[in-house]
Amino acid sequence: MKDFDLVRLRDDLSERGILMILSGPFSHSIVEEFGNAVRHYLENAQLSRTAMMDVFAVYVEQAQNVGNYLRRWESEPHGARIINSGIVIIARDGERYVISSGNLLAPQDVAPLTARLEQLRALDKMGLKALHKEKLRQPLNEWGSGGLGLIQMARKAAAPLQYALTTVDEWVFFTLRVMI
Amino acid sequence: MDKLIIEATRSSPALEFDAETGRLSIKGESYPENAAAFYAPVFAWLKEFLAGLASGAAVQVDLQILYLNSSSTKVMLNFLDLLEQAAQSGASVTVNWHYDPDNEAILECGQDLSEELEAVMFNMVGQTGNLS
Repeated sequence: MKDFDLVRLRDDLSERGILMILSGPFSHSIVEEFGNAVRHYLENAQLSRTAMMDVFAVYVEQAQNVGNYLRRWESEPHGARIINSGIVIIARDGERYVISSGNLLAPQDVAPLTARLEQLRALDKMGLKALHKEKLRQPLNEWGSGGLGLIQMARKAAAPLQYALTTVDEWVFFTLRVMI
Repeated sequence: MDKLIIEATRSSPALEFDAETGRLSIKGESYPENAAAFYAPVFAWLKEFLAGLASGAAVQVDLQILYLNSSSTKVMLNFLDLLEQAAQSGASVTVNWHYDPDNEAILECGQDLSEELEAVMFNMVGQTGNLS
């Protein structure tokens, strides 16, 4: 326990503007409960309804994306490390809110994801709306995702979606950052 | 045909579909764990209802949505597509999209969906205050 200094951890979170963190299991009931807490927090912070619902919406898409990806690994023999790797953070940055999510990815899942993110980063609001219209008609895949979540986040965001990749042993830790 | 009544949960809306009056309403938030599974019985009911519709019959749909996640947005388009087909075949279908003007995301979502419809009469109904 000697390195487990909660005072330092708390100070570090505060310096980084971190308000709330969801880390650990991403079951649907936890995603719901934490989302409810996020909304209560933002209501108390007297955020406009539009901004509050935008932060909530980005949180839901991120948490469901993380949860859906982690669940794919439940029956894999080497999946345990991935399953427990998810995190979502709500932070304040000046007048903005930043919602970030992270989880380990298998190396083969990195390129398709970054290709989609680069596509979104290159589009303006009208381009994002046109892409949204096109993807709206594509059916949901076997994991219940339809490729709309990232586009909806990009449409709400005040700046292009940011992401980072960090190699962790044979995996890649993916971080997504959305500013509202 | 029996009414379809589904109670709201934190992540799924309340539904009340009445075949006798032709009035269907969906109220609340939608981000269920599996949108396709949650809405499967809703689509089964709607398909049966629309198949038995008399020609020229009137259908009124009231949507009072506070939040739709991305997969529920797709499901909502599929739902409206079925109504559009009925309207193309001669039914008189009105959809009222009730929104809180302070919640721009839902206003925008209604606009996105209305662009996909032609024969359905789609009304944007702004109401302040009483939607939460």
